[in-house]
Amino acid sequence: MGLRWYHFALWAAFIAFMALLPELVSKGTLRTIIFANFLAVFAISWDVLSGRTGYISFGHPFLIGIGAYTSAILTKRYGFEIEVAIPIAVLMTMLGGLIVLLPALRIKGSYFALVTLAFMELMYQLVQVIRPDLTGGTRGMSGIPTLTRGALNGYYLSVTLMLCVAISMWLLMKTRVGTALSAIGMNEESVRGSGLSVTKLKMFAFLTAAAVAGLGGAFYVHYLGSVAPRALFDINFLFTIIVAALIGGSSTIIGPVIGAFFLTFLLEGLRPYLPGAERYFIYGGIALLLYMYQPKGLIEIFTQGWTRLRSRWTT
Amino acid sequence: MTNALEIKNLVKRFGGLTATDDLSFDIEQGESIGLIGPNGAGKTTVFSLVMGEHRQTSGTITLYGEEISKLGTSSRIRHGVSRTYQVPRPFAEMSVVENIRVGLMPDSIWQMIAQGPNREREIELALSVGFDEADLQRTPAELSMGDLRKLEMARTMATGPKLMLLDEVFAGLTVAEIAQIAELIQQMRKDGMTFLIVSHDLKALEPLIDRTIAINYGRMIADGSFEDVIANEAVRSSYLGTA
Ligand SMILES: Nc1ncnc2c1ncn2[C@@H]1O[C@H](COP(=O)(O)OP(=O)(O)OP(=O)(O)O)[C@@H](O)[C@H]1O
Ligand SMILES: [Mg+2]
Repeated sequence: MGLRWYHFALWAAFIAFMALLPELVSKGTLRTIIFANFLAVFAISWDVLSGRTGYISFGHPFLIGIGAYTSAILTKRYGFEIEVAIPIAVLMTMLGGLIVLLPALRIKGSYFALVTLAFMELMYQLVQVIRPDLTGGTRGMSGIPTLTRGALNGYYLSVTLMLCVAISMWLLMKTRVGTALSAIGMNEESVRGSGLSVTKLKMFAFLTAAAVAGLGGAFYVHYLGSVAPRALFDINFLFTIIVAALIGGSSTIIGPVIGAFFLTFLLEGLRPYLPGAERYFIYGGIALLLYMYQPKGLIEIFTQGWTRLRSRWTT
Repeated sequence: MTNALEIKNLVKRFGGLTATDDLSFDIEQGESIGLIGPNGAGKTTVFSLVMGEHRQTSGTITLYGEEISKLGTSSRIRHGVSRTYQVPRPFAEMSVVENIRVGLMPDSIWQMIAQGPNREREIELALSVGFDEADLQRTPAELSMGDLRKLEMARTMATGPKLMLLDEVFAGLTVAEIAQIAELIQQMRKDGMTFLIVSHDLKALEPLIDRTIAINYGRMIADGSFEDVIANEAVRSSYLGTA
């Protein structure tokens, strides 16, 4: 798989740093990091699907929403245990992933992206119309059972989830299946011409991404204790996920994590000056500049810096 | 003995244009056949039909005794046929070995995950088509046309074909590169590979083939030894000005 000693060292250092972080920062910052952790999970999911295969999903809130709503409804309305509800929510989201897969079997590029955007909008309409007694309609749901209390526990929960997802997806993408999914993004015809079933590979990518999105959505709802459809099925939320993956460095798994932290802190940093939605303009501009400067993302800037540092060291 | 490939009454229409017109021929296992014809004669279309990249309007294609017209491209490749492209189509952001790695992958997600790449075989294939050690980590953007054709050959060989369809393997190559690829093909013929080779470079093609098929407007105009086909009146007139 091409694993090197420094891979383990870097992961170990990252885990140790995340474990020590609560000692170093305030409760308020910790809450910001919790959001960054969840955003990282969603961005990783997007990366597995769109970063690799090039099928740009605008429908991630749709997938996250299935996970969140399924687990919320099962626990709040039907009295399921959270531990039981979350796996069911993940399975439901994978079914949702198959629905998003259907257009990908026929259409590519911007058409595919637009169709997935329609899924998100459709979901927003559906939760209001179909059984509002279950979904809470426009107002959403609150008083959903939570897994933890307090910022510290919330932090540990979210960071554990994020690390588990990041490491497992990073390992998975290091295998040949990661190579095959990238190959689809570069030249789908040649993948077929190499004797591989493109449909099977796409299905795998969509199911994996959906499972991660559903897992993230379900945990998120049991962290917040509430779900608000207008915030979930929202174009700003969607773009935050995509931009996190892109400016972090797509197709790398680590990049989206870096991007999620960068974006979350950027948004928080801007909040005192720009409390309203104008913030999104500024962050959009910054993201664009970064992206133009280095299309391969922050991770590439870091790796290049590291390589330069090392060569100066050795000479 | 069953034939490697049997094509019977194959027809392909693109709208009003008949690209393949009632074409029939067989290839025996171990045989090497040259497919020639002027530009637009329908050579590449025959390859696309055999690979299932286009579906024929009518007629049958039989590979090692099995009618494959209903199969998709990837399962045809699993049945032992693969092709190169006139315009090489590498994976742009992958190195030479990674490109070959994709060709070597089994069509099973589980095996892709559970087993690592066969690095020895990747390198062996790369070297066998004439790459140097130094080329292995290069990306397609850094390769010459000759190297891209070699890469195309290596990725095609990686799928483990018994029958290889080579489309314009010599186009854009230097004399030295042509000799290199020709030698590789000769070696593979000795090892029992079956070939269907399209080439405008008849001089390079001649030593590599047992038999020649000439087509024009999608129709067969001659089938026989290279000398006979080249001497054929219809072939000469179809090539007039291009040969
Ligand atoms: N996808 C397609 N749609 C419409 N027409 C096509 C298509 N592919 C090929 N054709 C037409 O079919 C005919 C045969 O094309 P083909 O590419 O098979 O010729 P060829 O013998 O390979 O030519 P060349 O020597 O130039 O590669 C041409 O007239 C071509 O324009
Ligand atoms: Mg052609």
